[in-house]
Amino acid sequence: MSDILEKTEAIVKKGKALGADEVLATTVFGRYRQTRFSNNQIDITTAWNDYVTDLTLSWNKRLVATQIRNFQNSAKIAEQLFKLAKVSKENPNYGGIASGKFTYSKPTADRKLQELENPSQYVFEAVEAAQKEAGSEVKAGGILFSKYEDVYLVSSEGPVGRDARSAVELSIRAFSQIDASGHGVECCSSLGNFKPSRAGEKAGKIARMAKNPKQAKEGKYDIIFDPLFFGSMLSTWAQMVSAYSIMIKLSVFVDKLGQKVAPEAVTLRDKPAEYSVNNRIFDDEGFPIQENLFIERGILKTYLHNTSTAKIFKTNTTGNAGLVQPQPWSIEMDAGHLSKDQLFDEMKNGLYLTNTWYTRFQNYATGDFSTIPRDGIFLIENGEIKQSWKDLRLSDNILKLMGNIAGISKERQQVHWWLEADPPSLSPYVLVKDIQMTRPK
Amino acid sequence: MEKDIVNFALDYAQSKAVDYAEARAQNTKHEEIVVKNGILDAYVSTVDSGLCVRILAEGGLGFASTNKLSKDEVRAIVDMAYKSAKLARRQDEIAFAEEKGVKIKWDVEQKKKIEDVSPEEKIDELMGVDKSLATQEIKIPGRISVCEIDMAEKYFVNSEGSEISSFLPKIAAFAFITVVENGKPEQAFKQFGRSGGWEAFEEWKMTETLLHEANVLQRLIKEGKSVKPGKMDLVCGTEVTGIASHESCGHPIEADRILGREMSQAGRSFIYQGGPYWIGSQIGSDIVTIVDDPTVKNSYGYYKYDDEGIGARRRFLYKNGKIHEFLHNRETAAKLGTRSNGSSRSTNYDREAIVRMASTFLLPGDWTEEEIIADVKHGIYMKSFTEWNIDDRRFNQRYVGREAYMIENGELTTQVTRPTIETSTKTWWSTVDAISKKIDFDAATCGKGDPMQGIPVYTGGPVIRLKEVYVK
Repeated sequence: MSDILEKTEAIVKKGKALGADEVLATTVFGRYRQTRFSNNQIDITTAWNDYVTDLTLSWNKRLVATQIRNFQNSAKIAEQLFKLAKVSKENPNYGGIASGKFTYSKPTADRKLQELENPSQYVFEAVEAAQKEAGSEVKAGGILFSKYEDVYLVSSEGPVGRDARSAVELSIRAFSQIDASGHGVECCSSLGNFKPSRAGEKAGKIARMAKNPKQAKEGKYDIIFDPLFFGSMLSTWAQMVSAYSIMIKLSVFVDKLGQKVAPEAVTLRDKPAEYSVNNRIFDDEGFPIQENLFIERGILKTYLHNTSTAKIFKTNTTGNAGLVQPQPWSIEMDAGHLSKDQLFDEMKNGLYLTNTWYTRFQNYATGDFSTIPRDGIFLIENGEIKQSWKDLRLSDNILKLMGNIAGISKERQQVHWWLEADPPSLSPYVLVKDIQMTRPK
Repeated sequence: MEKDIVNFALDYAQSKAVDYAEARAQNTKHEEIVVKNGILDAYVSTVDSGLCVRILAEGGLGFASTNKLSKDEVRAIVDMAYKSAKLARRQDEIAFAEEKGVKIKWDVEQKKKIEDVSPEEKIDELMGVDKSLATQEIKIPGRISVCEIDMAEKYFVNSEGSEISSFLPKIAAFAFITVVENGKPEQAFKQFGRSGGWEAFEEWKMTETLLHEANVLQRLIKEGKSVKPGKMDLVCGTEVTGIASHESCGHPIEADRILGREMSQAGRSFIYQGGPYWIGSQIGSDIVTIVDDPTVKNSYGYYKYDDEGIGARRRFLYKNGKIHEFLHNRETAAKLGTRSNGSSRSTNYDREAIVRMASTFLLPGDWTEEEIIADVKHGIYMKSFTEWNIDDRRFNQRYVGREAYMIENGELTTQVTRPTIETSTKTWWSTVDAISKKIDFDAATCGKGDPMQGIPVYTGGPVIRLKEVYVK
């Protein structure tokens, strides 16, 4: 057992010795690096090292949590936390944490991501690719982000595990004109597959096509969503299948288990596989990660659970703890039967939307919302891009958007961008029929 | 606060060939109490402390942070920040606008010290709010309320001789309710926030506010009428004026956006060099003056010195309808040939300070709210909003009313369901023709930066009237 695992275990033993019913400690040594760039130049490179142990304990169904930095004052902090538990209030819904001895997959983190040798080279590679597509006058900005986390989990209920999680991401937005831009992302869990030029090329290509945009026209449209845009929708649906969202009505999926919510072509799963930038082998209770089909052939099959919410809903945990709030890790939409080109070829009249931001709801229970497409917005006629547009807003209903899915591409891309497409997803090009678009007056 | 290690970080940074260096430490006691549908879900209590260094060398910037406060670790992060700065290899070198060093201590007084309030009392207060909601005749099956307390102690030193110590306590609460009537749901979110002590919790009147919201939602389901789209006068309550001031004045005026530094995430601005709008351009009617002011006493966005050690002051963003002043940090100020106006903020020691708002609000006018309504023949009074958004140039925006009423011949008549205005920044501020004397503030968390830095702000202002705008 490593020194860090021993220290983490000692905290758990201390908690038990104080009289806690259940104690869970997770130590993360995280190394995070980010290079920010704009106007084709590097603005700042930031590095942050984080040494933290999350400590959670329960006593008589009272749940309390704290953090310990670099194992300093561990015993004292555990004592203070136990005192807090004693004056806290009982949570009758608290159903405990995962118990038992589990076997985990082997972590597959890429050690090269512990310290990137020369992060600037990846940035310049992406910027050059954008310039190659859209011309040397293009102005590009974005981030290069890498993480490497060593994770040590010890639970008084049995789970003991060690994980290593790595990711590298590049997000680039290229402007060919002040109102013409394109966005590309490259998201990988290891450096081997990481090709920043792919993101730069895509951003540059969209920026070139988006030049000289015309004022958009309001109306109902059939829309092809780029994987980056659709990643935002996938993350919204995934957050809405957390059992916590169901309990506080922040979801369109309340009381819809077993019901048809989408066409048969739609299958969505939560799967933090080794290639995901949010990869992991156990959840925050130490329960082994599993693949959860939450929408299978259009039917809502399950909510995402931790041990407590699973007991409330009379089912089993899905390995999505969050100790208070179950959460999706990494979403996958199953590929369709059409190629991306076929999707475009078959569109007689509609829009191609490449990215979005600022998704906000009038009502999470009914799903009425709007979101603002950004970067390339294109009018398509007879399978061809006819015109670049600007100033348009998607103003409709998120459940209707799911129900109107009419085509899914074979091609899929892992996308993750800021808070707009988070958690990450494996997202295809998707055709959705009859969606309301509005514009300012 | 371990000041010695912070001073050591600065000394070690200055031993290198730096043009500028700073070290900033933060120790934050954080508490979070979550009550969901009448049950205390969890009580989180943490102390987070660490430090960062930021170095300007060879025209590049490097930043590194750690929460391991040993000399070896601090040397390692300084080395990393220095190396990063040099690797930037910029064509145009970054410079900071000139400033003199400052030595000062500041804090915010607590009338009722947070540390003197027991965890039991805090729990009881929050659960009391939930209980009041649960025992009404109105069905509120979805209720979540969260109380967050942050007591931040900071120590900032830089290579120009600044040495600033501060203590800033803040408390906040969030509530989200779902009312169901005849099987139909309507929802409301409210945020409360203030700098100072526990006295804020009592001043907010959370229960009263949320019960009002619940009643509004119930009436909306039972009696709400839809709006016949068309041009009409739109009277905006203080909450709506506040969000519009924040989104379509405060954000586009941030100099880092204007210069493109946020181009990939939070976006750019309709104000840009060589564009149709710049300082002096008309953007609103003559009576529109919007300020951003970190010194509003006990505001949620309060600070006395920013995270670059610059003294805070009121900034006039739009003045008499014209674009007047950008929000600056030292880097953007140097680029545009001016001085920082103290707008550089960071959420924690492990985040770079960037240009942010504090309390953004429209200055009051000379009408009363009643006079404004009485002067409307046909229109809508949008007191509060639900869905809203704005494009990343901050020009195309939309606000959907939560509590809203028809106005006919100077009288409030029926409650209306989700009236919507979707318009440009220019149209919004140019059509303002009446402003109330009374102003009010709301607490909000402003999102910007990558990684995201949600920072406390106030949004606010008076009741205003937009003349003859399209509402649907």
